[in-house]
Amino acid sequence: MRRILKPAVFALMGLLPAGAQADMKTIIENTVQDQILPGYQALHNHAQSLALATASHCAASDPDLRDAWGGMMDAWTRVSHLRFGPSEVDGRAFAIAFWPDPRSKTAKALNQILTDLDPSVGTPEEFAEVSVAARGLYALEFLLYDPAYADQATPEYRCALIRAIANGLVETSAVILGDWEAEYADQMLNPTETGAWRSEEEVFRELFKALSTGLQFTAETRIGRPLGTFDRPRPRRAELRRSDRSRHQVIVALEELSELAALLSADHPEIAARFAAEFEAALGHAANPDDPVFASVDEISGRLKVEILQQSVERLREILVMELGPAMGVGIGFNALDGD
Amino acid sequence: MQSTRRGFLAGMMAAGAVPATSWAEAGNPAYLAAARDSDGAYHLAGLAGDGAGRFSIPLPGRGHAATAHPKHPEAIAFARRPGTFALVIDCLAGREIARLDAPEGRHFYGHGVFSQDGNLLFTPENDYDNGVGVIGVWDRRAHWDRVGAFSSGGTGPHEISRLPGQDVLVVANGGIETHPETGRAKLNIPDMRPNLSYITANGHLLEQVEPPVADHMNSLRHLAVNADGLVACALQWQGDRFDAPALLAIHRQGRALQFAMASDTQHLQMQAYGGSVSFSGDGSHIAVTSPRGGVVQIFDREGAFLTQHSLEDVCGAAPATGTGFIVTTGTGEVAEIDASGKYQKLSQHTRQWDNHLIAI
Repeated sequence: MRRILKPAVFALMGLLPAGAQADMKTIIENTVQDQILPGYQALHNHAQSLALATASHCAASDPDLRDAWGGMMDAWTRVSHLRFGPSEVDGRAFAIAFWPDPRSKTAKALNQILTDLDPSVGTPEEFAEVSVAARGLYALEFLLYDPAYADQATPEYRCALIRAIANGLVETSAVILGDWEAEYADQMLNPTETGAWRSEEEVFRELFKALSTGLQFTAETRIGRPLGTFDRPRPRRAELRRSDRSRHQVIVALEELSELAALLSADHPEIAARFAAEFEAALGHAANPDDPVFASVDEISGRLKVEILQQSVERLREILVMELGPAMGVGIGFNALDGD
Repeated sequence: MQSTRRGFLAGMMAAGAVPATSWAEAGNPAYLAAARDSDGAYHLAGLAGDGAGRFSIPLPGRGHAATAHPKHPEAIAFARRPGTFALVIDCLAGREIARLDAPEGRHFYGHGVFSQDGNLLFTPENDYDNGVGVIGVWDRRAHWDRVGAFSSGGTGPHEISRLPGQDVLVVANGGIETHPETGRAKLNIPDMRPNLSYITANGHLLEQVEPPVADHMNSLRHLAVNADGLVACALQWQGDRFDAPALLAIHRQGRALQFAMASDTQHLQMQAYGGSVSFSGDGSHIAVTSPRGGVVQIFDREGAFLTQHSLEDVCGAAPATGTGFIVTTGTGEVAEIDASGKYQKLSQHTRQWDNHLIAI
């Protein structure tokens, strides 16, 4: 192996089994080439398809438009755990996807725009200044699926708003992809002292954190928000309940995260096998077409099934933190994990 | 590696020489921080202004914060909540010279502060069977005897400081009730009531301010005081983490709490959690760290958000010279930052810096 581990990093990491480091570079290359770049390329492609769909048919209930929106929603879910680099510049990720939204900022912002017939929808530069809560995929869900918005303003204005959002998504996904291609992919593949990442260990830790973030968001937020507490289930907080996609989005997220887990555990077949088995179990628990929006969380047997799904995702994160982390010599931040 | 005390000092101690009594002779460390070493051992470290290690003293368990004696090279290293030890450390000799044990039914919160003259030490404590906060008083001149205790003005007193030039204590009562039998579990979130209290050295409550009732789950936890007596508090929101109100509160005695936050998208990056707060060296700026979000946000003293820095697992923050701050991270980094966007890594250590960085 040609790379020399810096002694400081080696000591900090503590326990690095001999040989486990040999393929870190390969793992990073595979993750960048097979997941990150194609993920953002797909996001941008779907944004363009969505914008094309709005150009020809922008009635809210139009099936082609809804399909195009759903396609981009899935593409977003597949990169939504990659919260570093270009997506975090200038609040871009929030401009694509503003959720969860406990203070109903999306609804408020959309109502304001529709009531005022806000003229900024006609100019991309001006629309880019509108609240992020009204500019992303979740705002489009309100417009395409919530009857409360079906007859606000005029059909022409609603159409202009839908197109403005779609065009904004094309723009945002383009700059994220552009930054990845121009700069960040190279920085991840070739870390330097002055780059965003200074060593392969730092890059690996970023990817490790991304998997952790995705699993945590799925367990605590996508599943946990509708679960609420036993005394107070909160089914109306389910992600994308208006479009019946709450459970679907969990499945899409788990499928994508299972691929990332397989990539990151490539050096440790026994851990990779545990991931594969547990992801299969989690996807099994997630498949329940009779309860697409977790409406069952307020009755006992339905709730139990959703809790089992949540625990299954939590076990995946345990495998990551308790097994893969020590095996690869990385952990979640000392202070971040356990503050006071 | 960290430098420890110099050999000749060890020799002096062995010979029974009386240790010198100024910080200069401890190598003029500028900061104190608790750390976990790569072998899992815990230490209290002294750092110079340039981030270099000055001394490193073993602790019996995980530390949290420390406080420095105003004149003598002595530091008190506090156990992390719900620990019951506080060590009085001779930073020159590099050894423990006294140990404070929390009384029966109490534990420390990891923070403490000296009186202006350095004779008394005040320690926030949990009177856990009664669910109330207490400030313990210890007398340095009387072999560190415990000489008193009084109400902290609330539940869960966490960080304590002192107004400049007077013996008025400033206490962040986090509002959260815990009990050692249930570990770090929070027992009263639905009806917690945090506050900021100003208390005399005799325990007389001078003033108390609270967040608005609607934000009663916003736990005032850490604080900093500048030379003008302006107080900055870092808060930890106990509700929905996507719904956090401001995590910085600024207070001047006699006024209401003033809350400050960045734009929606930047505020969300804090993940509802302020880890430490510090004024800049000249008192003009305020930094709030979030290890969960891996960001430090900088505000001016009026509460206007200025900029933020991304830094993995950042938590400790303390004043640097001028408008700058020194920050420490769980990845072992010590860096200097300021509101102009300056970021300068000062040093990299093979240890993980724990939550707080304390200016001496």
